[in-house]
Amino acid sequence: MNDLSTKRRWLPPLVAALIAAVLQTAALGYMVESRASILRNGKEVLLKTVPVDPRDLLRGDYVILSYDISSLPPELFKGGLPKAPQEVTVFVRLAKQPDGFWSASEASFTELAPTDDSVVLQSQPFTYYPSSSEIPSPINVAYGIERFYVPEGEGRVLEQARNAEALSVNVRVNDAGRAQIRQIAVEGTPVYEEPLY
Amino acid sequence: MYRGRLEKDFKHWVGMGLLPEASARQMLAEYDGRESTFRAGRVLLVLAALLLSASILLLVAANWEALPRLARLIGIVALIWGFHFAGAFLLRRGNGGLAAAALVLAAMSFGAGIALVGQMYHLSGDAADALLLWIAGACVTALAFRSAAVTTVCGGLAWAYFLTVLSENGLGEIVEWQTWIVPALAILVVILVRLTDAGRARHLAYLLVVAWLIWLYIENSSLGFAGTLAVGGIVAFLAAAMPGSPLRPMALEAGSAPAFYSFALALIGFSVLQFEAVGLFTEVAAGAAVLIVALLGIALAGAQNGAVRYLGYAAFAGELLYLAFETLGSMLGTSGFFLISGLLVAVIAWLVIRIEGRLMRAGREEVSP
Repeated sequence: MNDLSTKRRWLPPLVAALIAAVLQTAALGYMVESRASILRNGKEVLLKTVPVDPRDLLRGDYVILSYDISSLPPELFKGGLPKAPQEVTVFVRLAKQPDGFWSASEASFTELAPTDDSVVLQSQPFTYYPSSSEIPSPINVAYGIERFYVPEGEGRVLEQARNAEALSVNVRVNDAGRAQIRQIAVEGTPVYEEPLY
Repeated sequence: MYRGRLEKDFKHWVGMGLLPEASARQMLAEYDGRESTFRAGRVLLVLAALLLSASILLLVAANWEALPRLARLIGIVALIWGFHFAGAFLLRRGNGGLAAAALVLAAMSFGAGIALVGQMYHLSGDAADALLLWIAGACVTALAFRSAAVTTVCGGLAWAYFLTVLSENGLGEIVEWQTWIVPALAILVVILVRLTDAGRARHLAYLLVVAWLIWLYIENSSLGFAGTLAVGGIVAFLAAAMPGSPLRPMALEAGSAPAFYSFALALIGFSVLQFEAVGLFTEVAAGAAVLIVALLGIALAGAQNGAVRYLGYAAFAGELLYLAFETLGSMLGTSGFFLISGLLVAVIAWLVIRIEGRLMRAGREEVSP
């Protein structure tokens, strides 16, 4: 462990503190604003879920959410599937169903053009491996809305709702296809509503 | 510790009349006065800082509902500012040890802030990305203050990134870009170590590269990969240790680490080559290559570099025993095998004594030409 005071400094300590604190604060601020802006301006969609309840040591209690759009049947990919393993992002067009939930109507490995009555959701990047069998298997994707943090112990309530298949999630999606959870409801009654900040 | 051995040797030399007692005392006093000397108090301070920061992280993890989340975020930002400026003030007062602890707390608070925002907005599946942002923030603190302690934190975070990628995508493949972030982080840590004089933290980076290469090999084991590891290791070792190599002065300046880790890499490479080998002949050939590499290491770098020397001996002895077991073991039965191993170890001991004697003579000639 070297002594800081005897090394030649590049910056006066107060300037160093200012630079580091400002940059780190700016990074956190950017993170917050990038999510808050989705909540503020995004288009709202309602999704069906199937949650489970593990525990993350560093981030406390959360419920893992899985959506019906997390598993995409290969027929949805009108542009075909890649032939070789590669790093991909999937774009999914969501359309409103008569029951109020939104479901996938089309999916693609390239960008989809937006339309008035649909929302395009972008998956997180992942490595796609073509299935070796004749019948292609469904493609599992994540959208970055697979976790919902709850105060310690409260995950049980949502878990029970999952067992009753009564959980729905309101999500806001921005123009770039990024999603942010806005509200979780059990049998249509909101239980968690997310503030902007 | 080195301090204890130094004192004992000084007493011995003073007793022999080689060294005046006053000089010995002055030398010890000079050594004790060095800033880089290991100081238990200072290390404990940084450990205390790490424990305190763990409590901050856990407080965030508990999803503590007593405060509204915006208040928690402001609290974390206040900690970031508070610890950075506390570090700055302590530095101005010349209190380097406490300043290092404050800066470690500052860098850890930034990580807590990232975790808190992740919790606030339910971000999922990006623990590795979050760690990259954390490393970037810690780098800024380390560079702005030239803080060796924060560089060590960066080294630890680079390891955390590697382990996170490992546990999140168990089926890692070379095509995934995250795989290549790991060596890039190791290079970053080495640069930080050089810029902040962090000394021992460089081992975190070197070990990370070695662990990463072993993991890559396990994921993609092939003859070509094993050969590349072996050749790459040998080339790196020769560059670091061969007299006349243009990189040798730089490697020596960095201490015994470059020669040692490149030597270890070459040995790992030839060992996995042996693992890939099919049939007795190729296996014995690969084994012979391991033996030659071990001897080469001892001959080129063994004199100045104790770590290389002992690794060389261990590899040489282990390989000989392994070869004996593979080739003769089945023919001789257990007792015969122990007989042969006993004789082999005796031969190795004789060789080591010869080599040590030669190294010692070479050393003496350097002192009195």
